[in-house]
Amino acid sequence: MTPFAALAPAGLAIPHIDYTALLPELILLGGVLVLIGVSAMTPRRLPTGVYATMTVAIAAAALVASLRLWRDVQNHGAFTTVAHSVDVDGFAVYFLVLVSCILIVAAIIGSGYLRREGIAGCEYYALALISGSGAMLMASANDLIFIFLALEVLSIPLYVMAGFDRRRPTSQEAAIKYFVLGAFSSAVFVYGIALVYGATGSTNLPEIGAFLAHNVITANGVLLAGIALLIVGFSFKVAAVPFHMWTPDVYQGAPTPVTGFMAALAKAGGFAAFLRVFVATFPTLRGDWQPVIWALAALTLVGGAIVALAQRDVKRMLAYSSINHAGFVLIGLQAVTTKGVAASAYYLFAYAFMVLGSFAVVGVVGAKGDRRHDLEAYRGLAARNPVLATVFSVLLLAQAGVPFTTGFFAKFYVIAASVGAHSYALAVVAMASAAIAVFFYLRVVLLMYSTQPADPGDEATTPGPAGGGVATLVRIPVGRLVVQPSIALGLAVSVGVTVVFGVWPQPLIDFTRAATFIFH
Amino acid sequence: MGSLDSYLPIFVLLVLGVLFAALSIGVSRLLGPRRPHAAKGAPYECGIVPTNELPRRFPVRFYLIAMIFVIFDIEIIFLFPWAVIYDQLGRFGLVEVIVFAGAVFVSFIYLVADGALDWGPARRARSFGSEPGRTTESAVRRVGAAGGRAE
Repeated sequence: MTPFAALAPAGLAIPHIDYTALLPELILLGGVLVLIGVSAMTPRRLPTGVYATMTVAIAAAALVASLRLWRDVQNHGAFTTVAHSVDVDGFAVYFLVLVSCILIVAAIIGSGYLRREGIAGCEYYALALISGSGAMLMASANDLIFIFLALEVLSIPLYVMAGFDRRRPTSQEAAIKYFVLGAFSSAVFVYGIALVYGATGSTNLPEIGAFLAHNVITANGVLLAGIALLIVGFSFKVAAVPFHMWTPDVYQGAPTPVTGFMAALAKAGGFAAFLRVFVATFPTLRGDWQPVIWALAALTLVGGAIVALAQRDVKRMLAYSSINHAGFVLIGLQAVTTKGVAASAYYLFAYAFMVLGSFAVVGVVGAKGDRRHDLEAYRGLAARNPVLATVFSVLLLAQAGVPFTTGFFAKFYVIAASVGAHSYALAVVAMASAAIAVFFYLRVVLLMYSTQPADPGDEATTPGPAGGGVATLVRIPVGRLVVQPSIALGLAVSVGVTVVFGVWPQPLIDFTRAATFIFH
Repeated sequence: MGSLDSYLPIFVLLVLGVLFAALSIGVSRLLGPRRPHAAKGAPYECGIVPTNELPRRFPVRFYLIAMIFVIFDIEIIFLFPWAVIYDQLGRFGLVEVIVFAGAVFVSFIYLVADGALDWGPARRARSFGSEPGRTTESAVRRVGAAGGRAE
């Protein structure tokens, strides 16, 4: 035998792996290999539409597999596989479906951007699919180590995608900043895992939960420190104040469709694991962590809304608005109830489509080069492209929580969950922040429908540095905006989901209600 | 108090940490002699004093070579433990490793198609769009005496 045979464990049990349970993730990763293989084997560069079509097909196959799993779980009950480290329960499969949908819409919208910017190749799509598989794994992970691996699979492609517009320095800056802070927060997260493992003797979530339910730890400093570090790690990923510092710069610097994708996907994946770890695993310690989440939620709600008011750059404004949205999702977590989890899950679904659509519009208005993101670029948009202005208005109003959109139900359910858990003060903070947020959404809407040209005195009196650089940027563009067919399709899907489920809410609500944890 | 007691050591450690940092900086401010010198302001206070900026750019292809190294390195990292307990993993392990090696191979093909092993005259990169506005004149910052090519 080899000299290393002594290193081998005595009895190695190979865990049973149910491959059908992992099918959505496997489809995505297999699809990545196909994409990369096709791009390598074809002698000439294929148009970006070919890869986009392949990506949509791959994501649609994952969606079908996820829906089949959903049917299985609803009919035959939830189960775990791979030695209890993968959960296949309603909650996980709900996010599998959501992530598949995000991937489809993001591929459609991204192809329009890539064609406009003349970026060929399969990289954008391959990275998006890898990242999506990470988000899926994160939602179904039932083990802290597994969550960490999934978190990295989710994040690393996003770092690259943030720097995809490699000729623009802000994009490079976004990638580096996201990478450094992401790596830092992952390190904090791993330290948290280590401490929780030290205190409870397991990284498996149900085992940790069972241990805490049956034992009273008298000196729980290590455990609490571990939980605190886990909260910090998750808060970085979902951009909760005060761990949000990277968000505006990264969202602003990344190519616009990537920003939308990143916002939808990272929030969905991050919050899925956040909810599972805290609501399903640490409910016995809620007295310790619930106040922390309360404070985080309040800070995130108020901080995001107020700082967004001061933004002139629409991408930056939407970045702060996404922070505000993270606050709303945290409210559902803070409730620590089944209703709260369902409300948060609903919020993430609604938010994903609203944010993908919003950033798609911003990408169109940004025009070739993806640079025109000042508020002034939106002045009189309704005259230049009435349909685009209407679509953006609907998406912004949905984000503000106007009735007959999914945004309204999202806000309504988290606040109801919060009231149900007797967190009245937080509900009041949430409503106040929603009222503040209406202002900056409406400001964009009003600008789009304003017929009044920008004050010409402005340009004359405030010449920018270096010979009126600012003045040229601020000048209103004229002529029609070109909306590519693929982006129009992506927008139609986003607005469709937002409005249809806003007017006819029952199916999505039932879907969310059935998204429950297996261990609770 | 009760549950708050457990936070006390953390709090004490925090205070101690802040005090230590503040004390160290404060004491060195107060007592330390101040003799500024150009060498002390240099990026590294050791080695040869740099005379000018590093003049050489090196081809980005070296990174692709590094990537090839990394993917095979990772493959070995996973192959090694598999080989050690090959008997116990049995057919399951063999299939898993073949699938894994397949994934690595596809990424290798991708790298080769991207020109990682082309060492002839420069060819246009495949995967990204061409950049017509970008020439050697616009992209290369000449350094060295009189803007000449520093070799």
